[in-house]
Amino acid sequence: MKKLLALGMLALAGLALAQPKVFKGTEPGRAGGAYRVTAISDPRTWNPFVARETSSTDIIGLFLPTLSGYSPYTQAPEGNLARSWEVRNNGLTVIFRLREGARWSDGQAIDADDVIFSATVHADQRVNSNSRSQFILDGQPIVWTKVDQFTVRADFPKPYAPALIQGWYIVPEHIFGPAYRAGVQQLQALWNLDTPPAQVVSGGPFKLDSYVKGERVVLVRNPTYWGVDDRNSPVAYLERYTVQIVPDLNAQLARFLAGEADTFSAANADQVAQVLERIRGNRLRAEIFPNVDVTLGTNFIVFNWNSKDPFKENLFRQVKFRRAMAHLMDKKSMIEVALGGLGQPQWSPISIPNKAFFTDDVAKFEFNPQRALQLLAELGFRTKNRDGWLVNAQGKVLEFNLVTNQGNNVRERIAQIFRDEARKVGVKVEYRPIDFNELVRQLTTPAADGTREFDAILIGLTGGIEPAFSRNVWELNGTLHAWNLGTGGKNPAKVESFEVLIDTLMKRGATTLDQAQRRQIYVQFQKVVAENLPLIYTVAPAYNPARLTRLGGMFPKEQINSITGQAPYIETIFAKE
Amino acid sequence: MFGYVVRRLLQLIPTFFGATLLAFLVIQLAPGDFVTRLELDPTQDRESIANLRQQLGLDQPLPVQYAKWLSGILQGYLGLSLSYKTDVWNVIGQRILNSMVLVVLATLMIYLVAIPVGVYSAIRKYTWPDRTFTVLAFLGLAIPNFFFGLIMLFLAVWLSDLTDMRILPIGGMTNEFLHLGNMTRAAQILFPPALLGTLVFAGLFWWRVQRKQAATFGIWVGLVLFGMSALLMLWPLLQGPGLPERLPYTESPLWARITNVLWHAFPVVIVVGTSGLAGLMRVMRGQMLDVLSQDYIRTARAKGLSERVVIYKHALRNAVIPFIAGIGGLLPGLIGGAGLVEVTMAWPGITPALLEAISAIDVYVIMGLITITTVLLMIGNVVSDLLLAWVDPRIRYS
Repeated sequence: MKKLLALGMLALAGLALAQPKVFKGTEPGRAGGAYRVTAISDPRTWNPFVARETSSTDIIGLFLPTLSGYSPYTQAPEGNLARSWEVRNNGLTVIFRLREGARWSDGQAIDADDVIFSATVHADQRVNSNSRSQFILDGQPIVWTKVDQFTVRADFPKPYAPALIQGWYIVPEHIFGPAYRAGVQQLQALWNLDTPPAQVVSGGPFKLDSYVKGERVVLVRNPTYWGVDDRNSPVAYLERYTVQIVPDLNAQLARFLAGEADTFSAANADQVAQVLERIRGNRLRAEIFPNVDVTLGTNFIVFNWNSKDPFKENLFRQVKFRRAMAHLMDKKSMIEVALGGLGQPQWSPISIPNKAFFTDDVAKFEFNPQRALQLLAELGFRTKNRDGWLVNAQGKVLEFNLVTNQGNNVRERIAQIFRDEARKVGVKVEYRPIDFNELVRQLTTPAADGTREFDAILIGLTGGIEPAFSRNVWELNGTLHAWNLGTGGKNPAKVESFEVLIDTLMKRGATTLDQAQRRQIYVQFQKVVAENLPLIYTVAPAYNPARLTRLGGMFPKEQINSITGQAPYIETIFAKE
Repeated sequence: MFGYVVRRLLQLIPTFFGATLLAFLVIQLAPGDFVTRLELDPTQDRESIANLRQQLGLDQPLPVQYAKWLSGILQGYLGLSLSYKTDVWNVIGQRILNSMVLVVLATLMIYLVAIPVGVYSAIRKYTWPDRTFTVLAFLGLAIPNFFFGLIMLFLAVWLSDLTDMRILPIGGMTNEFLHLGNMTRAAQILFPPALLGTLVFAGLFWWRVQRKQAATFGIWVGLVLFGMSALLMLWPLLQGPGLPERLPYTESPLWARITNVLWHAFPVVIVVGTSGLAGLMRVMRGQMLDVLSQDYIRTARAKGLSERVVIYKHALRNAVIPFIAGIGGLLPGLIGGAGLVEVTMAWPGITPALLEAISAIDVYVIMGLITITTVLLMIGNVVSDLLLAWVDPRIRYS
């Protein structure tokens, strides 16, 4: 009898969690406690096929699993729902093995059917999921098939470097399947904000508990989660996860200063000073790490190589001209004035926090107006006219318009600093902030003859860890090949040789599987871009995280980075008191 | 009169079409649409962007889009929000109600304070109290609401430092957890004075009725305020001791939720009400001064009427006519929200939702709000005109 009982217990335990994921925290934690963060706007939906903004996906990611992601410690691929994988066929096939025993919060098993179903829906053109691009490689589909109940297989049309990063959300087939078969509209209507939270099934560390519009989203621990810590205790440790919606940054700061939010990211030196003052006055038990890293986003100036004006087109295509413009960027002042002293200069396209690929060993055309003048003289702009502007032998004034999007204070100040320096040496820069949508139109929509109407734009793109995901910017026929854009998905009409080199490097980078070789490729890519400056990078804003000391399981200062944040996993954060 | 009302109502129809068409055109003629934002995302390709545009119907010609929207409106359907993928009413309904809490309380505060103070200032013009009110009014008009909101937040943080108690809320409309224990203890302390106040004012009321006099404005206000507080405190007194010390907001009893919302609304209402209060006070003072210089007031005084009767019966009733006409104008204001204060003080009202919708160009959310506001504005105008005819015998419509 005893033996039978023990066997039964074993079987039950095995049933509960056969192959959990072990989350390695920074220190031993304990269960219980609440975690409170602030968000700038409401989520729009709980449905991962509809979600398009981080305000939704940040919360969806707490209750829906993905196959794999990045390790917070090494930035290498790490399994989530996928327990292990096997690369076959020279990288054309990847077999993912799922964690047996993983369950949705309603008791159903999470298995290959859920994964294949989710992949099918994400890839469906009619659904238009935000993750759709992860299922297409150069116009050809990536095929997902079920091998058995806990094994799935992905077949790629060509070897694909980020094949192991499968970060799309997996949904319960038993809930989404019937709706999908009834039609796309039914699928999209599922799990909207008016769905009772109890009906939103979880396969992640937390489970939706309540949502008060415009106020807060509350999640509670999901007891059926497939994760444990390194002592085999179940995670997440936290009992409650609250997202308070506070649309104003100053009001967010006030919440943190009053101890009502556990973490905060200071946007500028002034906010850092306020937090520091309060900590020093012993009125807030917290830590702040100013300038510990920079954010992933980039700001750059791009010149239009498809200008209607042949003089400008020719000018903007001269690498000497672009280098002269780079020499006119006073990045020190930009950091001081636009970023409040917190930030770093950027010279090449891969974001500084992206340690796996970033290199600092690139050509740097530092602030040097004399050198800029020299380069412009080599292009023929040797004399100044009566108004003090540089002119060439034909009397043509060196002038162009610069625009950036209205309301972005950082960009507006960077643009003003650049304009002032350029005007000092006689380059007639007319700066004007314009509406964001108008700017996007000018940048991405060429006229029928392939020309675009702007001269220069200061803009930024959201960065990521995986350089292959920015192929639309760097490949010749990309939609965001911003300096020299082709029409109708074709290559631009006139292409410089370095652009072809970048295109080749990007294509090779995306299809090379060996990590060391990939780094080589992207290092060369950064060098080519920094040398030729199709985009002239400016400065990167600092990441200034702060947190209350009541939190445990957080990164020490040296390990904090803007990619992962202040803690390796949400699962291993805990409340010390 | 009946013919007039029918005519006015019929005129609303073309006005409605004109106003909504204009609004639709203005939104659509601005550069970009809901999908434009995605074009700067390096992971999106041309095909899915074109697809999305087609799916949302944004690639159709403007007249078609307007006609589709209109046919929905005529069936009482405000349309589908592009970013929430749900009925527009689900997006804005709750938020309009949240804003109404502020607007109703602020309006009450404005009228209850501005009219008496305005009258007082007019009767005692150029005295010290009048000058003080004037200076305060100009201050109130001069300070921008959103800035006052930020000052209020920092005042709240400062107060909680000073006293080690959360005296004022730090933004928001509700707390995640309600301290029922604290509320009960507070009610136990505050109930006796509230009851005493109610009794005193009820006594005054009764005393005046006995002497065949109408109760004064002050007695009414005192009775209502003390009476309401005492009533609201009855529940924690009765239920409170049996409840746990702390409960999540969603599981708390109604009285606790109302108290919590009122507590959060208090500083916001002060911020929202200040400028309106200051303005109305000045207008009331001017109106009153105007009326007091009229011949019939001199006549009334010459007849030997008491100053009270002259001021409240003869002067005030004529001086408030413009305010009554303004009541219709409050109607659209009720759902229009309290403005940027809602953003700075994290009140989940309609303003933050509208700003989000505008920046995302979520066309139908914007149109939904404009439609409701337009309809209420039109109805409000009709109501104002009718009210005016009712209170002012000099005005007749035919």
